[in-house]
Amino acid sequence: MNPLIFTTILMTVLLGTMIVMMSSHWLMIWIGFEMNLLAIIPILMKKYNPRTMEASTKYFLTQATASMLLMMAIIINLMHSGQWTITKVFNPTASIIMTSALAMKLGLTPFHFWVPEVTQGISLTSGLILLTWQKLAPMSILYQISPSINLNILLTMAVLSILVGGWGGLNQTQLRKIMAYSSIAHMGWMTAVLVYSPTLTMLNMLIYIMMTLTMFMLFIQSSSTTTLSLSHTWNKTPLTTTLILITLLSMGGLPPLSGFMPKWMIIQELTKNSSIILPTLMAIMALLNLYFYMRLTYSTSLTMFPSTNNMKMKWQFETKQITLLPPLIVMSSLLLPLTPMLSILD
Amino acid sequence: MMTYIVFILSVIFVVSFVGFSSKPSPIYGGLVLIVSGGVGCGIIMNFGGSFLGLMVFLIYLGGMLVVFGYTTAMATEQYPEVWVSNTTVMGVFLLGLLMEVMLVLYVLKSEEVGVVFKFSGVGDWAIYDTGDSGVFSEEIMGVAALYSYGVWVVIVTGWSLLVGVLVILEVTRGD
Repeated sequence: MNPLIFTTILMTVLLGTMIVMMSSHWLMIWIGFEMNLLAIIPILMKKYNPRTMEASTKYFLTQATASMLLMMAIIINLMHSGQWTITKVFNPTASIIMTSALAMKLGLTPFHFWVPEVTQGISLTSGLILLTWQKLAPMSILYQISPSINLNILLTMAVLSILVGGWGGLNQTQLRKIMAYSSIAHMGWMTAVLVYSPTLTMLNMLIYIMMTLTMFMLFIQSSSTTTLSLSHTWNKTPLTTTLILITLLSMGGLPPLSGFMPKWMIIQELTKNSSIILPTLMAIMALLNLYFYMRLTYSTSLTMFPSTNNMKMKWQFETKQITLLPPLIVMSSLLLPLTPMLSILD
Repeated sequence: MMTYIVFILSVIFVVSFVGFSSKPSPIYGGLVLIVSGGVGCGIIMNFGGSFLGLMVFLIYLGGMLVVFGYTTAMATEQYPEVWVSNTTVMGVFLLGLLMEVMLVLYVLKSEEVGVVFKFSGVGDWAIYDTGDSGVFSEEIMGVAALYSYGVWVVIVTGWSLLVGVLVILEVTRGD
Protein backbone atom coordinates (compact mmCIF):
# COMPACT_ATOMS: atom_id res chain seq x y z
CA MET A 1 0.00 0.00 0.00
CA ASN A 2 1.17 3.50 -0.76
CA PRO A 3 2.83 4.73 2.47
CA LEU A 4 1.01 8.06 2.45
CA ILE A 5 -2.38 6.39 2.10
CA PHE A 6 -1.48 3.83 4.72
CA THR A 7 -0.49 6.54 7.17
CA THR A 8 -3.70 8.46 6.49
CA ILE A 9 -5.84 5.39 7.03
CA LEU A 10 -3.99 4.39 10.19
CA MET A 11 -4.35 7.92 11.56
CA THR A 12 -8.06 7.76 10.80
CA VAL A 13 -8.34 4.59 12.88
CA LEU A 14 -6.69 6.44 15.74
CA LEU A 15 -8.87 9.50 15.13
CA GLY A 16 -12.02 7.38 15.21
CA THR A 17 -11.16 5.90 18.58
CA MET A 18 -10.17 9.30 19.93
CA ILE A 19 -13.49 10.79 18.80
CA VAL A 20 -15.34 7.97 20.57
CA MET A 21 -13.38 8.46 23.76
CA MET A 22 -13.60 12.23 24.01
CA SER A 23 -17.12 13.03 22.78
CA SER A 24 -20.04 13.88 24.98
CA HIS A 25 -22.67 13.78 22.23
CA TRP A 26 -24.01 10.35 21.33
CA LEU A 27 -24.05 11.09 17.61
CA MET A 28 -20.36 11.95 17.58
CA ILE A 29 -19.62 8.70 19.39
CA TRP A 30 -21.49 6.78 16.72
CA ILE A 31 -19.62 8.70 14.00
CA GLY A 32 -16.34 7.81 15.73
CA PHE A 33 -17.23 4.11 15.71
CA GLU A 34 -18.12 4.23 12.03
CA MET A 35 -14.92 6.08 11.13
CA ASN A 36 -12.92 3.51 13.06
CA LEU A 37 -14.67 0.64 11.29
CA LEU A 38 -14.34 2.17 7.84
CA ALA A 39 -10.65 2.89 8.19
CA ILE A 40 -9.63 -0.44 9.63
CA ILE A 41 -11.03 -2.47 6.74
CA PRO A 42 -8.06 -1.85 4.38
CA ILE A 43 -5.67 -2.50 7.26
CA LEU A 44 -7.28 -5.91 7.76
CA MET A 45 -7.03 -6.51 4.05
CA LYS A 46 -3.37 -5.69 3.67
CA LYS A 47 -2.70 -8.82 1.64
CA TYR A 48 -5.21 -9.45 -1.10
CA ASN A 49 -6.16 -13.09 -0.76
CA PRO A 50 -9.68 -14.52 -0.32
CA ARG A 51 -9.05 -15.31 3.33
CA THR A 52 -8.37 -11.73 4.39
CA MET A 53 -11.30 -10.52 2.33
CA GLU A 54 -13.59 -12.98 4.04
CA ALA A 55 -12.27 -11.96 7.44
CA SER A 56 -12.71 -8.26 6.66
CA THR A 57 -16.25 -8.87 5.43
CA LYS A 58 -17.17 -10.75 8.59
CA TYR A 59 -15.68 -8.02 10.74
CA PHE A 60 -17.49 -5.31 8.80
CA LEU A 61 -20.86 -7.06 8.99
CA THR A 62 -20.75 -7.73 12.72
CA GLN A 63 -19.46 -4.29 13.63
CA ALA A 64 -21.96 -2.55 11.35
CA THR A 65 -24.79 -4.50 12.97
CA ALA A 66 -23.50 -3.48 16.37
CA SER A 67 -23.36 0.17 15.25
CA MET A 68 -26.95 -0.06 14.08
CA LEU A 69 -28.04 -1.44 17.44
CA LEU A 70 -26.11 1.35 19.14
CA MET A 71 -27.89 3.93 17.01
CA MET A 72 -31.23 2.40 17.92
CA ALA A 73 -30.36 2.58 21.60
CA ILE A 74 -29.23 6.19 21.20
CA ILE A 75 -32.53 7.13 19.56
CA ILE A 76 -34.61 5.37 22.22
CA ASN A 77 -32.57 7.20 24.86
CA LEU A 78 -33.23 10.45 23.00
CA MET A 79 -36.94 9.81 22.87
CA HIS A 80 -37.18 9.15 26.58
CA SER A 81 -34.85 11.82 27.87
CA GLY A 82 -34.78 14.45 25.14
CA GLN A 83 -31.05 15.02 25.24
CA TRP A 84 -27.92 13.65 23.66
CA THR A 85 -25.38 13.71 26.48
CA ILE A 86 -23.67 10.57 27.52
CA THR A 87 -23.80 10.95 31.29
CA LYS A 88 -26.64 8.58 32.00
CA VAL A 89 -28.81 6.26 29.96
CA PHE A 90 -32.34 7.03 31.04
CA ASN A 91 -34.27 4.06 29.78
CA PRO A 92 -33.73 0.36 30.63
CA THR A 93 -34.52 -0.73 27.08
CA ALA A 94 -31.94 1.63 25.66
CA SER A 95 -29.42 0.47 28.24
CA ILE A 96 -29.89 -3.20 27.39
CA ILE A 97 -29.68 -2.59 23.65
CA MET A 98 -26.58 -0.46 24.14
CA THR A 99 -24.91 -3.11 26.29
CA SER A 100 -25.62 -5.75 23.64
CA ALA A 101 -24.26 -3.51 20.89
CA LEU A 102 -21.05 -2.83 22.79
CA ALA A 103 -20.73 -6.53 23.64
CA MET A 104 -20.94 -7.30 19.93
CA LYS A 105 -18.16 -4.82 19.29
CA LEU A 106 -15.97 -6.30 22.01
CA GLY A 107 -16.57 -9.92 21.15
CA LEU A 108 -18.35 -11.04 24.32
CA THR A 109 -20.40 -14.22 24.30
CA PRO A 110 -22.96 -14.75 22.73
CA PHE A 111 -21.52 -12.45 20.07
CA HIS A 112 -18.02 -13.94 20.11
CA PHE A 113 -18.17 -16.02 16.96
CA TRP A 114 -16.47 -13.48 14.75
CA VAL A 115 -13.34 -13.09 16.89
CA PRO A 116 -11.46 -16.33 16.10
CA GLU A 117 -12.45 -16.36 12.46
CA VAL A 118 -11.49 -12.76 11.81
CA THR A 119 -8.26 -12.97 13.81
CA GLN A 120 -7.24 -16.11 11.96
CA GLY A 121 -7.84 -14.67 8.53
CA ILE A 122 -5.65 -11.59 8.83
CA SER A 123 -1.93 -11.01 9.25
CA LEU A 124 -0.28 -10.93 12.67
CA THR A 125 0.14 -7.16 12.76
CA SER A 126 -3.47 -6.56 11.76
CA GLY A 127 -4.54 -9.07 14.38
CA LEU A 128 -2.54 -7.13 16.93
CA ILE A 129 -4.37 -3.90 16.10
CA LEU A 130 -7.69 -5.73 16.08
CA LEU A 131 -7.30 -7.32 19.48
CA THR A 132 -5.80 -4.39 21.33
CA TRP A 133 -6.66 -1.00 19.86
CA GLN A 134 -10.18 -1.88 18.75
CA LYS A 135 -11.15 -2.83 22.26
CA LEU A 136 -10.42 0.62 23.63
CA ALA A 137 -13.37 2.46 22.12
CA PRO A 138 -16.24 0.14 23.19
CA MET A 139 -14.72 -0.32 26.61
CA SER A 140 -14.53 3.44 27.14
CA ILE A 141 -18.24 3.75 26.32
CA LEU A 142 -19.07 0.90 28.69
CA TYR A 143 -17.04 2.71 31.35
CA GLN A 144 -19.05 5.87 30.81
CA ILE A 145 -22.47 4.22 30.93
CA SER A 146 -21.52 1.79 33.72
CA PRO A 147 -23.91 3.22 36.36
CA SER A 148 -26.93 2.38 34.22
CA ILE A 149 -26.00 -1.06 32.90
CA ASN A 150 -28.28 -3.97 33.73
CA LEU A 151 -26.16 -6.14 36.02
CA ASN A 152 -27.74 -9.48 35.12
CA ILE A 153 -27.12 -9.18 31.42
CA LEU A 154 -23.55 -7.98 31.78
CA LEU A 155 -22.57 -10.62 34.32
CA THR A 156 -24.17 -13.38 32.24
CA MET A 157 -22.23 -12.28 29.19
CA ALA A 158 -19.03 -11.96 31.20
CA VAL A 159 -19.20 -15.43 32.76
CA LEU A 160 -20.18 -17.05 29.48
CA SER A 161 -17.28 -15.28 27.78
CA ILE A 162 -14.83 -16.65 30.31
CA LEU A 163 -16.26 -20.12 29.76
CA VAL A 164 -16.18 -19.85 25.99
CA GLY A 165 -12.73 -18.27 25.99
CA GLY A 166 -11.42 -21.13 28.10
CA TRP A 167 -13.08 -24.05 26.39
CA GLY A 168 -12.85 -22.68 22.89
CA GLY A 169 -9.10 -22.26 23.01
CA LEU A 170 -8.42 -25.80 24.15
CA ASN A 171 -8.49 -27.44 20.76
CA GLN A 172 -6.48 -24.83 18.87
CA THR A 173 -3.02 -25.02 17.41
CA GLN A 174 -3.15 -21.80 15.41
CA LEU A 175 -1.66 -19.01 17.46
CA ARG A 176 -4.00 -16.30 16.22
CA LYS A 177 -7.05 -18.30 17.23
CA ILE A 178 -5.50 -18.94 20.64
CA MET A 179 -4.99 -15.21 21.08
CA ALA A 180 -8.57 -14.59 19.93
CA TYR A 181 -10.03 -16.94 22.55
CA SER A 182 -7.70 -15.43 25.13
CA SER A 183 -9.11 -12.03 24.17
CA ILE A 184 -12.69 -13.28 24.64
CA ALA A 185 -11.86 -14.58 28.11
CA HIS A 186 -10.08 -11.40 29.16
CA MET A 187 -12.99 -9.28 27.95
CA GLY A 188 -15.18 -11.44 30.15
CA TRP A 189 -13.01 -10.69 33.18
CA MET A 190 -13.07 -6.98 32.38
CA THR A 191 -16.80 -6.67 32.01
CA ALA A 192 -17.52 -8.80 35.08
CA VAL A 193 -16.17 -6.12 37.39
CA LEU A 194 -17.41 -3.15 35.37
CA VAL A 195 -20.50 -2.45 37.43
CA TYR A 196 -18.70 -2.93 40.74
CA SER A 197 -15.54 -0.94 40.11
CA PRO A 198 -14.83 0.51 36.64
CA THR A 199 -11.27 1.38 37.72
CA LEU A 200 -10.42 -2.31 37.78
CA THR A 201 -11.81 -2.68 34.27
CA MET A 202 -9.35 -0.02 33.14
CA LEU A 203 -6.53 -1.73 35.04
CA ASN A 204 -7.34 -5.06 33.44
CA MET A 205 -7.54 -3.44 30.02
CA LEU A 206 -4.12 -1.85 30.50
CA ILE A 207 -2.40 -5.04 31.62
CA TYR A 208 -4.20 -7.10 28.97
CA ILE A 209 -3.12 -4.74 26.19
CA MET A 210 0.48 -4.86 27.39
CA MET A 211 0.54 -8.65 27.54
CA THR A 212 -1.21 -9.14 24.22
CA LEU A 213 1.09 -6.61 22.58
CA THR A 214 4.09 -8.50 23.93
CA MET A 215 2.79 -11.88 22.78
CA PHE A 216 1.98 -10.67 19.29
CA MET A 217 5.35 -9.01 18.93
CA LEU A 218 7.12 -12.17 20.00
CA PHE A 219 5.08 -14.05 17.39
CA ILE A 220 5.88 -11.44 14.74
CA GLN A 221 9.55 -11.65 15.53
CA SER A 222 9.66 -15.38 14.96
CA SER A 223 7.10 -15.10 12.12
CA SER A 224 5.21 -17.99 13.60
CA THR A 225 1.49 -18.50 13.30
CA THR A 226 1.16 -22.11 14.45
CA THR A 227 2.29 -23.96 17.55
CA LEU A 228 4.62 -26.02 15.40
CA SER A 229 6.47 -23.03 13.97
CA LEU A 230 6.57 -21.41 17.41
CA SER A 231 8.29 -24.52 18.72
CA HIS A 232 11.23 -23.82 16.42
CA THR A 233 12.19 -20.61 18.17
CA TRP A 234 14.80 -22.39 20.29
CA ASN A 235 16.82 -22.62 17.14
CA LYS A 236 16.18 -19.15 15.76
CA THR A 237 16.45 -16.93 18.83
CA PRO A 238 16.85 -18.93 22.04
CA LEU A 239 16.22 -15.90 24.24
CA THR A 240 12.72 -15.57 22.80
CA THR A 241 11.74 -18.96 24.19
CA THR A 242 12.26 -17.77 27.76
CA LEU A 243 10.41 -14.57 27.06
CA ILE A 244 7.49 -16.50 25.56
CA LEU A 245 7.41 -18.66 28.66
CA ILE A 246 7.30 -15.72 31.03
CA THR A 247 4.74 -13.74 29.06
CA LEU A 248 2.42 -16.70 28.59
CA LEU A 249 2.50 -17.50 32.28
CA SER A 250 1.74 -13.85 32.97
CA MET A 251 -1.26 -14.04 30.63
CA GLY A 252 -2.44 -17.08 32.53
CA GLY A 253 -2.51 -15.05 35.70
CA LEU A 254 0.19 -16.65 37.78
CA PRO A 255 1.21 -14.82 40.96
CA PRO A 256 4.58 -13.26 40.85
CA LEU A 257 3.90 -11.89 37.37
CA SER A 258 1.86 -8.83 36.50
CA GLY A 259 -0.97 -10.79 34.90
CA PHE A 260 -1.98 -11.80 38.39
CA MET A 261 -2.71 -8.22 39.40
CA PRO A 262 -6.02 -7.69 37.60
CA LYS A 263 -7.35 -11.11 38.50
CA TRP A 264 -6.48 -10.65 42.17
CA MET A 265 -8.05 -7.20 42.34
CA ILE A 266 -11.16 -8.33 40.48
CA ILE A 267 -11.70 -11.31 42.76
CA GLN A 268 -11.16 -9.09 45.79
CA GLU A 269 -13.66 -6.52 44.53
CA LEU A 270 -16.25 -9.16 43.74
CA THR A 271 -15.94 -10.81 47.14
CA LYS A 272 -16.21 -7.42 48.82
CA ASN A 273 -19.60 -7.14 47.14
CA SER A 274 -20.68 -10.46 48.69
CA SER A 275 -20.65 -12.61 45.61
CA ILE A 276 -18.61 -15.71 46.29
CA ILE A 277 -19.75 -18.23 43.72
CA LEU A 278 -19.11 -15.93 40.80
CA PRO A 279 -15.40 -15.22 41.40
CA THR A 280 -14.83 -18.86 42.33
CA LEU A 281 -16.32 -19.91 39.01
CA MET A 282 -14.31 -17.29 37.15
CA ALA A 283 -11.07 -18.33 38.80
CA ILE A 284 -11.70 -21.99 38.03
CA MET A 285 -12.46 -21.18 34.41
CA ALA A 286 -9.24 -19.19 34.15
CA LEU A 287 -7.50 -22.51 34.62
CA LEU A 288 -8.67 -23.57 31.19
CA ASN A 289 -6.89 -20.53 29.76
CA LEU A 290 -3.82 -21.41 31.73
CA TYR A 291 -3.89 -24.93 30.33
CA PHE A 292 -3.53 -23.92 26.72
CA TYR A 293 -0.89 -21.29 27.55
CA MET A 294 1.03 -24.00 29.39
CA ARG A 295 0.71 -26.25 26.37
CA LEU A 296 2.31 -23.54 24.26
CA THR A 297 5.14 -23.12 26.74
CA TYR A 298 5.59 -26.89 26.91
CA SER A 299 6.08 -27.17 23.19
CA THR A 300 8.13 -23.98 22.87
CA SER A 301 10.31 -23.42 25.89
CA LEU A 302 10.25 -26.45 28.10
CA THR A 303 10.87 -29.21 25.56
CA MET A 304 12.43 -29.57 22.16
CA PHE A 305 9.34 -30.31 20.13
CA PRO A 306 9.76 -33.15 17.60
CA SER A 307 10.74 -31.82 14.21
CA THR A 308 12.64 -32.99 11.18
CA ASN A 309 16.41 -32.76 11.38
CA ASN A 310 16.80 -29.96 8.89
CA MET A 311 14.63 -27.70 11.03
CA LYS A 312 17.17 -28.08 13.81
CA MET A 313 19.99 -26.50 11.87
CA LYS A 314 18.84 -23.05 10.82
CA TRP A 315 21.66 -20.86 9.61
CA GLN A 316 19.81 -18.01 7.87
CA PHE A 317 18.81 -15.76 10.73
CA GLU A 318 16.36 -13.10 9.75
CA THR A 319 16.60 -10.08 12.01
CA LYS A 320 13.56 -8.00 12.61
CA GLN A 321 13.54 -4.81 14.54
CA ILE A 322 10.59 -4.96 16.89
CA THR A 323 9.97 -1.67 18.59
CA LEU A 324 9.54 -1.51 22.33
CA LEU A 325 9.81 -5.24 22.90
CA PRO A 326 12.10 -5.19 25.95
CA PRO A 327 10.08 -2.59 27.87
CA LEU A 328 6.88 -4.41 27.03
CA ILE A 329 8.26 -7.69 28.28
CA VAL A 330 9.41 -6.08 31.50
CA MET A 331 6.07 -4.40 31.99
CA SER A 332 4.04 -7.50 31.27
CA SER A 333 5.88 -9.58 33.81
CA LEU A 334 7.19 -7.42 36.61
CA LEU A 335 4.46 -4.93 37.43
CA LEU A 336 2.97 -6.77 40.39
CA PRO A 337 4.76 -4.79 43.14
CA LEU A 338 3.28 -1.61 41.66
CA THR A 339 -0.28 -2.65 42.52
CA PRO A 340 -0.92 0.21 44.96
CA MET A 341 -0.41 2.59 42.06
CA LEU A 342 -3.66 1.60 40.47
CA SER A 343 -5.29 4.48 42.30
CA ILE A 344 -3.98 6.73 39.51
CA LEU A 345 -6.56 5.18 37.21
CA ASP A 346 -9.47 6.68 39.13
CA MET B 1 -56.31 13.55 2.00
CA MET B 2 -54.09 16.56 2.47
CA THR B 3 -54.14 16.16 6.25
CA TYR B 4 -52.65 12.73 5.80
CA ILE B 5 -50.18 13.68 3.09
CA VAL B 6 -47.10 13.06 5.25
CA PHE B 7 -48.44 9.66 6.19
CA ILE B 8 -49.07 8.72 2.55
CA LEU B 9 -45.63 9.94 1.51
CA SER B 10 -43.99 7.98 4.30
CA VAL B 11 -45.83 4.83 3.23
CA ILE B 12 -44.54 5.28 -0.32
CA PHE B 13 -41.09 5.88 1.19
CA VAL B 14 -41.14 2.58 3.07
CA VAL B 15 -42.53 0.70 0.06
CA SER B 16 -39.69 1.90 -2.15
CA PHE B 17 -37.18 0.95 0.55
CA VAL B 18 -38.71 -2.53 0.54
CA GLY B 19 -38.39 -2.42 -3.22
CA PHE B 20 -34.65 -2.07 -3.21
CA SER B 21 -33.92 -4.14 -0.13
CA SER B 22 -35.43 -7.17 -1.80
CA LYS B 23 -32.35 -6.93 -3.99
CA PRO B 24 -33.25 -6.71 -7.62
CA SER B 25 -30.48 -5.65 -9.96
CA PRO B 26 -28.88 -2.32 -8.94
CA ILE B 27 -30.43 -0.46 -11.85
CA TYR B 28 -33.90 -1.16 -10.50
CA GLY B 29 -32.66 -0.36 -7.01
CA GLY B 30 -31.58 3.02 -8.33
CA LEU B 31 -35.02 3.47 -9.87
CA VAL B 32 -36.82 3.09 -6.55
CA LEU B 33 -34.14 5.20 -4.89
CA ILE B 34 -35.18 8.04 -7.18
CA VAL B 35 -38.78 7.56 -6.10
CA SER B 36 -37.84 7.39 -2.43
CA GLY B 37 -35.62 10.47 -2.77
CA GLY B 38 -38.42 12.45 -4.32
CA VAL B 39 -40.93 11.30 -1.73
CA GLY B 40 -38.47 12.02 1.09
CA CYS B 41 -38.06 15.51 -0.29
CA GLY B 42 -41.83 15.89 -0.10
CA ILE B 43 -41.86 14.77 3.54
CA ILE B 44 -39.16 17.27 4.47
CA MET B 45 -40.94 20.06 2.63
CA ASN B 46 -44.12 19.39 4.55
CA PHE B 47 -42.25 20.23 7.72
CA GLY B 48 -41.16 23.55 6.27
CA GLY B 49 -37.74 22.53 5.09
CA SER B 50 -37.77 23.71 1.52
CA PHE B 51 -34.01 24.24 1.40
CA LEU B 52 -33.21 20.73 2.57
CA GLY B 53 -35.72 19.20 0.18
CA LEU B 54 -34.12 20.93 -2.75
CA MET B 55 -30.75 19.78 -1.41
CA VAL B 56 -32.03 16.20 -1.63
CA PHE B 57 -33.02 16.65 -5.23
CA LEU B 58 -29.91 18.48 -6.32
CA ILE B 59 -27.12 16.73 -4.46
CA TYR B 60 -28.52 13.30 -3.70
CA LEU B 61 -30.57 12.59 -6.81
CA GLY B 62 -28.79 14.89 -9.22
CA GLY B 63 -25.26 14.16 -8.10
CA MET B 64 -24.80 10.94 -6.24
CA LEU B 65 -27.52 8.89 -7.86
CA VAL B 66 -26.47 9.96 -11.35
CA VAL B 67 -22.92 8.76 -10.69
CA PHE B 68 -24.34 5.57 -9.22
CA GLY B 69 -26.47 5.08 -12.33
CA TYR B 70 -23.48 5.50 -14.62
CA THR B 71 -21.30 3.06 -12.69
CA THR B 72 -24.12 0.51 -12.53
CA ALA B 73 -24.70 0.86 -16.25
CA MET B 74 -21.03 0.04 -16.79
CA ALA B 75 -21.18 -3.04 -14.59
CA THR B 76 -24.57 -4.45 -15.54
CA GLU B 77 -25.26 -8.03 -16.53
CA GLN B 78 -27.09 -9.40 -19.52
CA TYR B 79 -30.35 -10.37 -17.80
CA PRO B 80 -30.78 -8.12 -14.76
CA GLU B 81 -33.05 -9.26 -11.96
CA VAL B 82 -36.45 -7.64 -11.66
CA TRP B 83 -38.84 -8.05 -8.76
CA VAL B 84 -40.86 -10.71 -10.59
CA SER B 85 -38.05 -12.65 -12.22
CA ASN B 86 -36.74 -14.48 -9.19
CA THR B 87 -38.96 -16.23 -6.66
CA THR B 88 -36.82 -15.12 -3.75
CA VAL B 89 -36.87 -11.47 -4.69
CA MET B 90 -40.61 -11.50 -5.31
CA GLY B 91 -41.19 -13.31 -2.03
CA VAL B 92 -39.18 -10.81 -0.01
CA PHE B 93 -40.86 -7.89 -1.76
CA LEU B 94 -44.33 -9.25 -1.09
CA LEU B 95 -43.43 -9.98 2.52
CA GLY B 96 -42.22 -6.43 2.99
CA LEU B 97 -45.38 -5.08 1.38
CA LEU B 98 -47.48 -7.26 3.64
CA MET B 99 -45.68 -5.99 6.76
CA GLU B 100 -46.19 -2.41 5.61
CA VAL B 101 -49.89 -2.95 4.89
CA MET B 102 -50.39 -4.46 8.33
CA LEU B 103 -48.58 -1.54 9.96
CA VAL B 104 -50.67 0.98 8.00
CA LEU B 105 -53.89 -0.70 9.08
CA TYR B 106 -52.66 -0.73 12.69
CA VAL B 107 -51.90 2.98 12.54
CA LEU B 108 -55.21 3.83 10.91
CA LYS B 109 -57.26 1.74 13.28
CA SER B 110 -55.86 2.77 16.63
CA GLU B 111 -55.04 6.16 18.02
CA GLU B 112 -51.61 5.24 19.30
CA VAL B 113 -48.99 2.92 17.90
CA GLY B 114 -46.70 1.22 20.36
CA VAL B 115 -44.36 -1.21 18.61
CA VAL B 116 -40.96 -0.51 20.18
CA PHE B 117 -41.78 2.97 21.36
CA LYS B 118 -45.03 4.87 21.55
CA PHE B 119 -45.86 7.06 18.59
CA SER B 120 -49.13 8.89 18.75
CA GLY B 121 -49.26 11.09 15.73
CA VAL B 122 -47.01 13.57 14.05
CA GLY B 123 -47.39 16.12 16.84
CA ASP B 124 -45.20 13.96 19.04
CA TRP B 125 -42.07 15.24 17.34
CA ALA B 126 -40.93 18.23 19.36
CA ILE B 127 -39.02 20.98 17.63
CA TYR B 128 -36.17 22.70 19.47
CA ASP B 129 -35.49 26.33 18.64
CA THR B 130 -32.08 27.97 18.51
CA GLY B 131 -32.85 31.23 20.32
CA ASP B 132 -35.08 33.99 18.98
CA SER B 133 -36.00 32.53 15.65
CA GLY B 134 -39.44 34.06 15.50
CA VAL B 135 -38.79 35.76 12.20
CA PHE B 136 -36.52 33.29 10.41
CA SER B 137 -37.55 29.77 9.50
CA GLU B 138 -36.31 26.92 11.61
CA GLU B 139 -34.49 24.98 8.99
CA ILE B 140 -32.38 27.82 7.69
CA MET B 141 -31.40 28.42 11.31
CA GLY B 142 -30.44 24.77 11.47
CA VAL B 143 -28.23 25.03 8.42
CA ALA B 144 -26.60 28.15 9.88
CA ALA B 145 -26.09 26.38 13.19
CA LEU B 146 -24.33 23.56 11.37
CA TYR B 147 -21.52 25.90 10.46
CA SER B 148 -21.37 27.81 13.74
CA TYR B 149 -22.06 25.45 16.65
CA GLY B 150 -21.43 22.35 14.63
CA VAL B 151 -18.08 23.05 13.02
CA TRP B 152 -16.58 19.93 14.55
CA VAL B 153 -19.35 17.80 13.02
CA VAL B 154 -18.65 19.26 9.60
CA ILE B 155 -14.92 18.61 9.95
CA VAL B 156 -15.43 15.03 11.15
CA THR B 157 -18.01 14.23 8.50
CA GLY B 158 -15.88 15.73 5.75
CA TRP B 159 -12.86 13.76 6.90
CA SER B 160 -14.92 10.55 7.08
CA LEU B 161 -16.09 11.02 3.52
CA LEU B 162 -12.55 11.65 2.28
CA VAL B 163 -11.25 8.60 4.08
CA GLY B 164 -14.22 6.66 2.74
CA VAL B 165 -13.09 7.38 -0.80
CA LEU B 166 -9.50 6.41 0.04
CA VAL B 167 -10.65 3.19 1.71
CA ILE B 168 -12.85 2.17 -1.20
CA LEU B 169 -10.07 2.83 -3.68
CA GLU B 170 -7.68 0.84 -1.53
CA VAL B 171 -10.05 -2.09 -1.09
CA THR B 172 -10.96 -2.41 -4.75
CA ARG B 173 -7.38 -2.06 -5.94
CA GLY B 174 -6.82 -5.75 -5.47
CA ASP B 175 -3.09 -5.97 -5.82
